[in-house]
Amino acid sequence: MPSYGSDIESRLKVLEETLQLQQKTIEDQQKVINELKNELSESRKEVAARPEEKPVEEAKSQKATGLFGASNLANPNISLILDTFGYTSNLRESELKNRGIPGYTTEGITNRKGFNLDSAELFLFAPVDPYFNLYATIPVTENGAEVEEAYFLTTSLPYGFQLKGGKFKSGFGRINSQHPHAWDFADIPLPYRAFMGGEGIIEKGAQLTYLPRLPFYTILGAEVLQGDNNVLFGPNAKSGPHAYALFAKASFDFSDNSTILFGPSVMTGKTKTDSIVDDTEFSGDSTLYGLEFTYKWKPSKQQSLTVQSEYLYRSQHGTVAATTELLKRAQDGLYVQGIYQIDRWRLGARYDVLDLFKDDYILAGTNTDFGGKPWRAAGMLEFNPTEFSRIRLQYNHDKSARDEKTNNEMLLQLIFGIGAHGAHPF
Amino acid sequence: MKKYIALFMMLFLFATPALAEVKVVATLPWIGSIAKEIGKDKINITTLVKPMQDPHFAEAKPSMILAARKADILMYNGLDLEIGYLPRIIESSNNPNIQPGKTGNLDCSQFITPIEKPASVDRSMGDVHPLGNPHYHFSPKNILKVAEVMANVFSDIDAGNADFYRGNLQIFKDRLMEKQKQWSSKPLKGGKYVSYHKLLEYLAQEYGFQIQGYIEPKPGIPPSAGHLSEMIENIKKTKPDAILATVVAGKKEAEALSLKTGVRSVVLPQDVGATEASKDWFSLMDEVLKGLE
Repeated sequence: MPSYGSDIESRLKVLEETLQLQQKTIEDQQKVINELKNELSESRKEVAARPEEKPVEEAKSQKATGLFGASNLANPNISLILDTFGYTSNLRESELKNRGIPGYTTEGITNRKGFNLDSAELFLFAPVDPYFNLYATIPVTENGAEVEEAYFLTTSLPYGFQLKGGKFKSGFGRINSQHPHAWDFADIPLPYRAFMGGEGIIEKGAQLTYLPRLPFYTILGAEVLQGDNNVLFGPNAKSGPHAYALFAKASFDFSDNSTILFGPSVMTGKTKTDSIVDDTEFSGDSTLYGLEFTYKWKPSKQQSLTVQSEYLYRSQHGTVAATTELLKRAQDGLYVQGIYQIDRWRLGARYDVLDLFKDDYILAGTNTDFGGKPWRAAGMLEFNPTEFSRIRLQYNHDKSARDEKTNNEMLLQLIFGIGAHGAHPF
Repeated sequence: MKKYIALFMMLFLFATPALAEVKVVATLPWIGSIAKEIGKDKINITTLVKPMQDPHFAEAKPSMILAARKADILMYNGLDLEIGYLPRIIESSNNPNIQPGKTGNLDCSQFITPIEKPASVDRSMGDVHPLGNPHYHFSPKNILKVAEVMANVFSDIDAGNADFYRGNLQIFKDRLMEKQKQWSSKPLKGGKYVSYHKLLEYLAQEYGFQIQGYIEPKPGIPPSAGHLSEMIENIKKTKPDAILATVVAGKKEAEALSLKTGVRSVVLPQDVGATEASKDWFSLMDEVLKGLE
């Protein structure tokens, strides 16, 4: 047995030696691997530490993440926003259709009771080259596609200037330049509807803005526009551009969590329209003045409060075609709204009023009294599952038609966005 | 008269004083902190997102646009973290120097190695970042690269002080090496944690611990009651070392889970300045690693 044992022992010894040898080989190999690794990481570090020898642009171009994220050259960034709503009212559809705002507009409400498709809106954007960005908004409705906006924007003008050209939403006021799906309520405030129509001022033209290097944010803008807005100007007011706008906006941060933004706007142009007096053409000049104010308090992403208001004043004078009598209108309106957000919920209230301080409708020297002030109150509750989906319930108590009838309407709005990530505007 | 008006306009336009210091705009506090280490008193830093704000959900405030208007360099995290507001800030800044492709536009992520880049992604998976996990500021390895690039860019824009910036980079590197020794001696290897958001993955990789679950069912989606009760069972079974949240995200949820399971919850600063102790990037790392211990 001892011989057997010693046999095992000697075999074990041999095995042990072999193992040790192998261990050593592995260790040696590991050393080589480590050295190689070190060398590799050293040389990588060197490469990383030497971008001064090659242009920064070149080093960057290896990973293409542009201004708009993970873009590629073959396609612009594309997103599609579905805006759809359910609607109900105590009034009949025919009553709603003819429900204008007496003294302001004869255009009524075209919502259908039940399911409504506002639009499926295509949004395309991309840099054109180092000097221009291009944007297009193409809402597709049941009546077909239209070009709501299509404009270029310069990126490389010096001294704080920027030029925008094409068809775009005017920088007049606060809500005007926002897309309907970004509004805090399903519909546009009454003063906007009364003075500019349900979509605001979207015009072909050019806009120049100037952002000076001041201690606080101030932006100055000027626009030359074709002047086609149906309500303010009428589609054929004058051949050639005839509308001009100026606006200024200033903003301060009171603290990291609270900001105000405010400023005046003015827009002027020729008007020729038959939507003021039924079947009668009015021809003259219009000037619209605006004052905007927004306060936002946002201590965390879980909670925020926004208070926003705009005051609009429009003065208009000209002749009514059938009688060649003079018509002079000086009217105003205001909306105030507040939105409180907590987590994924938002709760909002809005009050709109017209004829606030001024309600002149002077036809041939006589002031027409259309009745009490048109007004509307709205409340809404929103749930936003993510930043790409929104479910909104809104109730309107609408007394804008100045008659005995109140339009009590309810909207359930659903908005979804897919595709490229848009920016959250302030 | 017209001549005088033109002259006055010209004066107005060109009356911007010569740059005494390089104006740096950093989107996030940690970027500002690293820039400060490299630029010291030769640069003037404005940070857009405040320490108590969630960098995923900031808005393009007018004051941010104004800061970008005045910037010589804009430095940002990249990997789509700031996609909700930065494109608009850059475009509205009316400042050609910080447009993409210019030396004054520094996407710090271009110089790091991203992890967790999904092969394919859609938004049913929640707010997944298609370019990879954007929270690389907890990775000393990557931060070193960012500091090197910053020194280069400062030297490019302010060539007169190039030696100053390179010297500061060396000081930063030395300090980082020393700190690295201290940090890697911490007994974190093999640790298991549950976290609210995908935030510490770079750190986990470099220090050998594991984030085994998330309170968010999907990135950016807050947990439902059902998901939370599942988490309770899961935590009771697997007994992680701690439940992690940050000052801006998931604090409430982590504390509730801790109460139900007996596993301690830790509220970490997600960025420089989110807690009193995290004054700069080094102390941010100190505090986060201390919290994990």
